[in-house]
Amino acid sequence: MALTFPSAEWVEEFKRQINLSEAYKKAGATWTAGVVALIISAKPEIGLTEDVGIWLDLHQGVCRDAKIVAAEEAQKAPFCITGDYVRWKQVIKKELEPVKGMMQGKLKLKGDLPTIVRNVKGAQELVECTTRIDTKFFDE
Amino acid sequence: MGGYTGKILEINLSNGKIETKSIKEEDQRKFLGGSGLAAKILFDFFDTKVDPLSPENPLIVMTGPIVGTQFPGTSRFAVCGKSPLTGIWGEGTCGGNFGPELKFAGIDGIIFKGASSTPVYLIIEDNKIEIRDAKDLWGMDNYTLTDSLKERHGKEKRPKVLSIGPAGENLVKFAAICNDKGDFIGRTGMGALMGSKRLKAVVVKGTKRVEVSHPDQYSALRQSLITKSRDAMVAQSLRSMGSDAGMDLGMMTGDIPIKNWVVGEDFELSANLGGPSLTEKYLTRNHACSFCPIACKRVVKVDNGPFKTDEGPGPEYETCATFGTLIMNYDLAGVIKANEWCNRYGMDTITCGATIAFAMEAFEKGLITKKDTDGIDLTWGNITGAISLLHKIAKGEGIGAVLSEGSREAAKKLGKGAEEFSVEVKGLEVPMHDPRGFHGMGLAYMTSIRGGCHLMHLALGVEQGMSTYTEAGFQENYIGQTSEGKAEMIKLCEDLGLPCNSLLICEYVAWTLSANDLVEMVRATTGFDFTLKDLLACGERTWLLKRGLGNMMGINAKDDRLPKRILTPLKEGAAAGSIPDVEKLLREYYEIRGLNEDGRPKREVLIKAGLEDLAKKLHG
Repeated sequence: MALTFPSAEWVEEFKRQINLSEAYKKAGATWTAGVVALIISAKPEIGLTEDVGIWLDLHQGVCRDAKIVAAEEAQKAPFCITGDYVRWKQVIKKELEPVKGMMQGKLKLKGDLPTIVRNVKGAQELVECTTRIDTKFFDE
Repeated sequence: MGGYTGKILEINLSNGKIETKSIKEEDQRKFLGGSGLAAKILFDFFDTKVDPLSPENPLIVMTGPIVGTQFPGTSRFAVCGKSPLTGIWGEGTCGGNFGPELKFAGIDGIIFKGASSTPVYLIIEDNKIEIRDAKDLWGMDNYTLTDSLKERHGKEKRPKVLSIGPAGENLVKFAAICNDKGDFIGRTGMGALMGSKRLKAVVVKGTKRVEVSHPDQYSALRQSLITKSRDAMVAQSLRSMGSDAGMDLGMMTGDIPIKNWVVGEDFELSANLGGPSLTEKYLTRNHACSFCPIACKRVVKVDNGPFKTDEGPGPEYETCATFGTLIMNYDLAGVIKANEWCNRYGMDTITCGATIAFAMEAFEKGLITKKDTDGIDLTWGNITGAISLLHKIAKGEGIGAVLSEGSREAAKKLGKGAEEFSVEVKGLEVPMHDPRGFHGMGLAYMTSIRGGCHLMHLALGVEQGMSTYTEAGFQENYIGQTSEGKAEMIKLCEDLGLPCNSLLICEYVAWTLSANDLVEMVRATTGFDFTLKDLLACGERTWLLKRGLGNMMGINAKDDRLPKRILTPLKEGAAAGSIPDVEKLLREYYEIRGLNEDGRPKREVLIKAGLEDLAKKLHG
């Protein structure tokens, strides 16, 4: 059954997919820089009435915790990527590569850039993990 | 017109005559400045058939109307002429501070004609212009020379220096021109052209201002563009890691050539050589070109070891690739040392590194041996050997003399199939962006006027997603490993990129701005009532003029090709199995550009672009 993005169920499945992924285990093995948070900006016209945060506690190739949090909480993470709903949808559908999206200003990154660049392969594998989730979008 | 000083110097180095001329407003509107205007000057006044190292080949230094206005990214200048390396149109641009200083001295550009019988340099202090003896400077490397000239001409008055090192003096075909140690007119051998005139340096000091047509509009626009440029993500990336930020990302996308273009992936290489590594291990501080809010330049130092280096300008991405991934060297300190020597001697790091990679493959295949190299071991990865060879190239010693001609000529001399691994287009070694990962870049290489070029158009940023200009007709997003739609993309990249090039706007800054921002900069500065359509028409006109010059210098359709090495699929990496569809790319491009089968622009296309004289030259 398709899981709505974003939702607690979707995030739970995302954590499961990350920890199933041998590719992420390898690519993310050197990640010790802390939590990565995603913020999906509100879009009331499709039913997303407020900003939603996704908290990913990643450490050395393992996702230790994943949960929905308030956007204010997500902002406290050492790495925080913010984007409109349409952009996150494009990322999950592999229509927008996230680093390209950041460069073009479609996704906003807060955090140490060299660390992200060093671990860009890990970021790519995380996106691959999202594509394995049977996802339903608010506006479809 | 605002932005222009109205004064071009014409210096005859054969007889010492110094004259001034002006550029017609019509040509300013049609070609803007930089290499566009330089191409028009060469077309109007000079013979395209001359030997590039003869006194008849002009060396044209040109700024543009926006240079020196303090808009972001407008410190650049161009140097142009017939290329000693390729035998066709040559040009290079660079940042730094020379361009604005020339404008502050009241000069838009300089045309050097003839050749001096003895070494000389030119000193410009506002209206005081003199040719001086440079016998005591001949032989100096660029760093020592720059320091000497600044000391001589009033260090506290901050003169700016343009110079050649020993490589230019020795007519190394890919010799570069140096601006204040860290910025270079790298490509196409303009340093050799300067050396053939025995012109060692140009020193400039200026105290004037660049006047703009609409000061209020300029002030407001300048402030908003500085903020926009500074805050863009790509700017943050460049500020924190320099252009070498492209190394780690490039390894992910199949952008980086490895081992003379035969290996597809090596993440250990990119981890060792990439932007984070350079920043963490060797960076002492950032440095910015004049008026730039990005500050992508690196200042580096290697504290100890065999590649110990005093604090000085650090390597760009291209150098980290040519002296790194291309020759299988994992040692970033070695890259820094090679970069320093190329800077001191004054050599293009792209052609130099690529020619050394060629030599390493020749060594591997037994076409050259240690006997030929005077004992230098050119095994893959041996950066010490590469640096030893670099010295020989700069001095023209032994095998260095052969390699100083560039890889195309070296391959001809070696024979025995060496042409297969000389990776060049029209004689210019291909830069470090793999067309197997980005098919559009392959088309850009094939059709670029000066040969394998990644900069005179906007393809790098557009195809790799750093920028897009949907208001100019671009798509929002492009897929690298397809040839579909790339002809239209490249034509647009050239039509928008060439005005940026002619205006001397830094490509990195251009990535952070919109196409309409660029139009507004032109309007506020010059007073030209330009629209985006006019800007794109300028770009098309400039491309056609330069292409026509290339045709007159001998280029035709058979030269629009990619080397065999790039058309061989890789076995691993992000671009594994992918090669550009050359036939489709060229067929579609020729059609939308309006080129004949022989590679010449059609008569009616030239006339429509306002190039009637060129139409007569090419078609009678």
